[in-house]
Amino acid sequence: MSGAKSIPKASTRLLDSETFQTTRKKSLEMRQYLDDILSKEVGKYASPDTSLVVFGSLARGEWTTGSDLDWTYLIDGGAKSTHLQITQDIQRVFKQKNLAEPGPTGTFGNMAFSHDIIHQIGGQNDTNKNTTQRILLLLESTPIGERKEAYERVIRAVIDRYLEEDTHLLTRDSKNYRVPRFLLNDIVRFWRTMAVDFANKQRDRAGKGWGLRNAKLRMSRKLIFASGLLICFSSSLDPELRNKISTDTNDVRFQLGNHIRDYVRLTPLEVVESLVNRYDIPDSVAKELFDSYAKFLRILDDETSRKALDALRSEDSETDPTFKQIREISDAFKRALDYIFFENRQLARLTREYGVF
Amino acid sequence: MKLIGFSTGALARGDFHRALQMLSHKKANAVELSALRQDELAPLVQQLGELDLGRFQYIAFHAPSAMEQSYEPAALDLLKQVAARNWPIIVHPDAMHNPSDWACLGDCLCIENMDKRKPIGQTATDLAKFFEILPNASLCFDIGHARQVDPTMSEAWAILQRFRDRIKQLHVSEVNTQSKHDPISLESILAFQKVSHLLPSDAPIILESRVEESEINEEIETALDALNPASQLAIASD
Repeated sequence: MSGAKSIPKASTRLLDSETFQTTRKKSLEMRQYLDDILSKEVGKYASPDTSLVVFGSLARGEWTTGSDLDWTYLIDGGAKSTHLQITQDIQRVFKQKNLAEPGPTGTFGNMAFSHDIIHQIGGQNDTNKNTTQRILLLLESTPIGERKEAYERVIRAVIDRYLEEDTHLLTRDSKNYRVPRFLLNDIVRFWRTMAVDFANKQRDRAGKGWGLRNAKLRMSRKLIFASGLLICFSSSLDPELRNKISTDTNDVRFQLGNHIRDYVRLTPLEVVESLVNRYDIPDSVAKELFDSYAKFLRILDDETSRKALDALRSEDSETDPTFKQIREISDAFKRALDYIFFENRQLARLTREYGVF
Repeated sequence: MKLIGFSTGALARGDFHRALQMLSHKKANAVELSALRQDELAPLVQQLGELDLGRFQYIAFHAPSAMEQSYEPAALDLLKQVAARNWPIIVHPDAMHNPSDWACLGDCLCIENMDKRKPIGQTATDLAKFFEILPNASLCFDIGHARQVDPTMSEAWAILQRFRDRIKQLHVSEVNTQSKHDPISLESILAFQKVSHLLPSDAPIILESRVEESEINEEIETALDALNPASQLAIASD
């Protein structure tokens, strides 16, 4: 696929701090390691019709000690029995190398077919697993190795599906793009689903892992929601995109599709960073946002703190020192997000218009 | 009359005499002489002077889709004879081992965008690298390949936005998941129509659909309809 256009970078490089550089470097090394071990142990594991896709912290460039390895063998082509064999080979190699297995829901660590991801948006057959895979493909995924074609096609097709169903991509006077509401609603739905599932998992797993899941919901899960909202809002705020408006309906959709594709190529932190300066977010707010997130990553990267969080049950959260830190960090993170979405002149207007009703 | 015809390789693999025979008394007024395999190149070039091509208003030549590196200089010597006739020479990006050497074909060199099997040449970004090395080359826009690479047609759109002015001819067919050229389906028609308004209206169309002789005229009509921007409006208003 064509490379991303040059998305404006924030003048202050908020991601240049040591913590972000370290987790980015570790993520790149881990992705390379996965490609190396699979190429050695499995052979040509991907093809023009299949891609190995990773999600979560590895895709976000936030790999820390103890991170889970969430992955999917994505298939976009004719069904072949060998797909299962390759998936099982990948599972075997990851297990042999003691890479932390995905969660027990079965959403990751398996095969996924493009047809459901692309066609089942909404409706009875859009399962929790399908929604999760689709939204995370857009907001926090990256392919492993050189064979990226299937991944790229599916991303394009998913974006196209959202825009196809949005009958009015332009404002009434055709002078600006609207916020793509279908996509936005699915992102909002996913965020609410994650929040509801948090309570469900607490029940299912009898409180096990509560602290870590809660911390992630407050920080990394919230970050991908915020970046998804910002991508949608940027459609209505980007002057370059506005200048490209054409009289041809297909061109209008292609331009918007490319705009969204360019943004979803970035990690959630990069999306937020690239838009912070564009929307005149004060340095103090940006700093609070990125500093709090860096602190969160440092806690996750500390084995003792991570284990403490993982072992923490909700009834002990009021007194636990690690969770106290998480609460302070997440309060600062939320304060910064609140400013961005509710106080900033340009974004608050869109939050009001599209965010709730 | 729009310039439209077939690739000889699509009609009769490796047998250009048979393919030209199949095209006689058909609606085709354009042809692409194909030497898709390395060993087909010399025999075809040697016989060019003997072929009866008088009925065609447009003639192009397809170079081998892959060749050994050691054969490249010999292939270029043969292709220079084709360039002397001022025919566009269609070349796959990955078939060129030393792309800069192909500059000797001048503006007859016509680079084609690739299908998903190939290691390079599918995207606007890939193609830009070749046009940088070979600034006089033109583009053979294979709309079937572009659809196979990205069924949403975003990549096709990106290629057309960037290289529309370089287009010398079009390749049209259905390219299936195994990268074989089939007759154009409704699925392809709907996809082609998304970008048909961006195609240069005077670009010759070379069909690569594998059809029987009895299906040649029907396939030509299907292609003309699929690439006609007015047809898109007709469907949209239904």
